[in-house]
Amino acid sequence: MLKDKRVIAILIAPSLAAFIFAVLAPIVLSFVYSFTNSSGIGRFTFVGFENYSALAKDRAFWNALLNSALLAAGFVLIQHPIAILTAWLLDRVGGRLETFFKTAYFIPNIISSAVIAILWKYIYNTNFGLFNVIARFFGGEGVNWLGTGVAIWSVLVVLVWHGFGWGMLIYYTGIKNIDPVLYEAAAIDGCDDKKMFFAITLPLMRPVIQVNVTLALISALKQMETVYLLTKGGPGNETQFVATYLYKQAFQSGNYGYGNTISVVFVVICLLTTAFLNRLFRERGI
Amino acid sequence: MTDKMKTRFPLGRGIILAVLLLFSVIQLFPLVWLIDFSLASNTEFFTSKLLIMPKEIQWGNYPRAFIDGHFLLYLKNSLLVNTLAVVVVLVLSICSAYAVTRMRWKFSQAAKSVILLGMMIPIHATLIPNYMIYDFLGVRDTLWSLLLPYVAFSLPQGLFLAASYMESVSKEIEEAAIIDGCGTFRLLGSIITPMMKSSLITVMIMTYLNNWNEFMMASTYLSTSKWKTLPFSILEFTGQYRANVAVQFAVMTLTAAPAIIIYIILSKHITKGVAMGAVKG
Repeated sequence: MLKDKRVIAILIAPSLAAFIFAVLAPIVLSFVYSFTNSSGIGRFTFVGFENYSALAKDRAFWNALLNSALLAAGFVLIQHPIAILTAWLLDRVGGRLETFFKTAYFIPNIISSAVIAILWKYIYNTNFGLFNVIARFFGGEGVNWLGTGVAIWSVLVVLVWHGFGWGMLIYYTGIKNIDPVLYEAAAIDGCDDKKMFFAITLPLMRPVIQVNVTLALISALKQMETVYLLTKGGPGNETQFVATYLYKQAFQSGNYGYGNTISVVFVVICLLTTAFLNRLFRERGI
Repeated sequence: MTDKMKTRFPLGRGIILAVLLLFSVIQLFPLVWLIDFSLASNTEFFTSKLLIMPKEIQWGNYPRAFIDGHFLLYLKNSLLVNTLAVVVVLVLSICSAYAVTRMRWKFSQAAKSVILLGMMIPIHATLIPNYMIYDFLGVRDTLWSLLLPYVAFSLPQGLFLAASYMESVSKEIEEAAIIDGCGTFRLLGSIITPMMKSSLITVMIMTYLNNWNEFMMASTYLSTSKWKTLPFSILEFTGQYRANVAVQFAVMTLTAAPAIIIYIILSKHITKGVAMGAVKG
């Protein structure tokens, strides 16, 4: 019965069909169109590797990758250390307060990017925005938070803020899985807090940190929604990420062929990054 | 303070709570600000204070947001498309996981890897080609143009979670059922599905979270308001009511509300589900 071909087909075919239709076919189509000068409507011709060589020289594209790298740094160097620390502290609180804080930290993650983006657009508003109200309170001047030179940092703040609860929750679960007996033994041996954190918590959390960091790096690469609504990649192309940039090329500038080229390269970059991170962490032996 | 805490953690509870409170203020204050301003009138917005004490609470912002934001229609669409996506993802996850972990066939592992590949593909890379495909097939601006990609991009994680559950439990009960003459589909429906309830709840939560907030695909594939989902309440409103910021704030509060309410009710399951989904996914 476990070899019944008909049953196997009925069980697996819809899933494979969904994958082929919604994931594989579009990527193949993208690949074909990436060699054309299509503008979405009307005729087009094949232009060979023209789009690819244009992409290699496209400063906006490289800047988008740089922005992803900055965001990844923001996640790994700012968001995650704070998240681990918070999770570690939270684990000690116990009772209702612990549940309250855990619930509170996660709330921004529940709210859709659309609300988050528009809300932060107003928080950055030069007139009545929260940031300028605070700045003026301390005697500063109003800043154009989404203006040239500043915008990318403002975008990073929103993204690091929005994803904090998610990262925290995963670290928190990791810390909860550590056997309390270890801490008790360490306490008997006279370990202080700092030592316990570095000698017990961090080393035992290594697999969780690796998973979490991998997820963060990938999500830095895939960023789109919030940025799209907050700045549309502007001013200029300053806050462009790969996804917002390909979208702009296709749907605003009418460069379908070129947009598809970016899509194809985007898929390749994501696959390579995932494979690289998996290998990196596997070789280090988890 | 419990005994456990005294021995384990000499660091003061006051300091711990202060730090945690600080971060929760950072996480939540923007939302408090949002709700506060949604009850003010436009003329009160230009203030030097962090929060406004409205002279008169402007409840009237909400009915306007509710009606002009097409709140009910978009909420209904969101609920419908998400519920359908969740149901389909659950069914397909169970079926495909069973096919790749229990059934014996040559390409079972290949099929699993292929579907799992979907987890690594960036959704946004398919926006342009899927737009072309849906346009060509005439399904653009229909329920299908949302349901299909929502299912396809949530399925890999569903399959992964379901398959890792099935790999972890022994086959004895199933084998006994098979010997008793239980067919595959009855086995899946009445024995396996109830057993893996907690994994399925995780799949459900992850699928809901992923798709409830999605609007990039929706705004690319949809053009009329017939199937538009909740995020559009805000997106359309910011265009229409550019000058009336207070009502915009009311729309944002209103659209955020359903998810927050559901979250507070189900927070235990959701936080558990997210942690499980992330660590295993």
